[in-house]
Amino acid sequence: MSERYARQSFLGSRSEEIFKSCRVTVIGLGGGGSHIVQQLAHIGIGNFLIFDADHVEDSNLNRLVGATHEDVASKTAKTAVATRLINGVNPNTSIVAVPKKWQESADLLRGSDVIFGCVDSFSERQQIEVAARRYLIPYIDIGMDVHPLEHQFAISGQVILSLPGELCMTCMGFLREDLLAREAANYGAAGSRPQVIWPNGVLASLAVGIFVQLMTPWHKNHRRVWYLEYDGNSQTVTTSNRLAHLSGVVCNHFSSLEDVGDPFWVPTKVVAG
Amino acid sequence: MFKVVDRLLERVRLDLARPHEFAAERVGFLVCRAASLEREGIVVLAHDYSPVEDEDYVDDPTVGAMMGPAAIRKALEFVLNNKAGMFHVHMHDHHGRPRFSRIDARESAKFVPDFWNVRPGMPHGALVVSTDSVWGMCWYPGISAPVEISEFVVVGSPMVLVRNPS
Repeated sequence: MSERYARQSFLGSRSEEIFKSCRVTVIGLGGGGSHIVQQLAHIGIGNFLIFDADHVEDSNLNRLVGATHEDVASKTAKTAVATRLINGVNPNTSIVAVPKKWQESADLLRGSDVIFGCVDSFSERQQIEVAARRYLIPYIDIGMDVHPLEHQFAISGQVILSLPGELCMTCMGFLREDLLAREAANYGAAGSRPQVIWPNGVLASLAVGIFVQLMTPWHKNHRRVWYLEYDGNSQTVTTSNRLAHLSGVVCNHFSSLEDVGDPFWVPTKVVAG
Repeated sequence: MFKVVDRLLERVRLDLARPHEFAAERVGFLVCRAASLEREGIVVLAHDYSPVEDEDYVDDPTVGAMMGPAAIRKALEFVLNNKAGMFHVHMHDHHGRPRFSRIDARESAKFVPDFWNVRPGMPHGALVVSTDSVWGMCWYPGISAPVEISEFVVVGSPMVLVRNPS
C-alpha cells in the first residue's frame, strides 16, 4: 500500500486497488455533490462520472466546495470545478465530466459501480433509482431541506442506500405518490430553496461512509439498508423509524425481468468481455 | 462485465451444493438481460435462477452432472418465450477463482450455442462458481467463439469487484 493511503490501511490490504478500479457516478455537483467528489478523490477513487448542467453563480459560493470568486465571473461549469478538485488531489484519476442533465446521457450510468444522487426533486430521485435498479447499481441518495417552523427554522436531511435486491425508496416511504404528485403540481413554482454548507457536509460524509462500508467494510456488521435522518437543529443523525416497520418486507417494485437491462438491446459488432 | 446480486448468487450456491441421488454435482441456469457499455463491451445482468430439477439429470458416471433433454428443453422454452440470455452454472467446491475443466469447456461449447436457435439476439454463456468467486465464458450473438468474461461484480454488502480475472 502506498504511503498516501497508509492511514486508511485498516480498510484492507486490497482497499487501494479496489478504490482505484472503482467507477463512481455523482449526479449533482452543488452543495452535497461537491463535498462527495472531494472526499472520494481523497479516498483514492480511480474513475469518476460526474453530471451537472449548471455553472457557478454567486449564490453558490456559500456552499459549493472548490468554487472560487473567479468561477462566478467566468461562469465555470460545476463539472469543471469538480474536475479541478479531483485532479488537485489525484491527477491520475479518470474523469468523465458531463455538463448536461444526466438524463441526456443516461447510457453512461450503466458501467457504474455506485451512483451518488445529490438532486433536489423527488421525481429525479425516482428516475435515478429506476436506472440504478435496471443496471444493478447501488444508489446512495442525499438531500437536505430547511422548513419554516413558527417563526423559526428546522434543518433536516436524509441519506438513503437503495441496494438492488433490497428495499427501495418507495418501500421505505421516502418516495410517495402524494409527494411526487404535489411536486409535479408545483413544478416551476418552488423558487430557490435554502441551502447551507454544514448540513451538506454532514450528509455527504455519511454517504461516503456508507459507500466505503460497501466497498471495503472494516467491520462485520454489514447493513444492507440505510435510511438515516438528520436533524440539523439538534445536530443528530438517527436511523429512520420507518425501517423498524419494514423488517422482513421484500421489495417487489423491480422484480420483473423487464425491469432489468436494456429492453431494446441489440447486439453490436464490437465486443469485449 | 457480468453482474449478479449477492443474494441471488448465494441462492445458486445453496442449490448447487445439494446432493443428488446419482449425479456428482448439480447445475442450473441464470436468467439474464444485457445492455451495451459506453466504453466497450456489454454488461450481462443476472435476474433469476432456474435450477435443473432432480428428474432431469441423466446418470452418466463419466461426468459430474449430465443434463437430460428435458432440462435443455425447459431452458430453451424459457428463452423462446422471454427476451433473456441463459447462463449455465455449476460449482467447484473450493475457495479462489475457479476455471472450467476440459470437460466443462467441451460440454458448454456443445449446448450453449443452441440457445441462439431460439433467441439469437441475446448473449448466452456458462459460469463456474467457487465458494467465494466466479468465472465464465460468454457466447456473443453472431460470434461462434466464446469470450472470457473480464469483469464480475457481485452486488451487495459488501460489493465484490473482480476485474480482469485472466
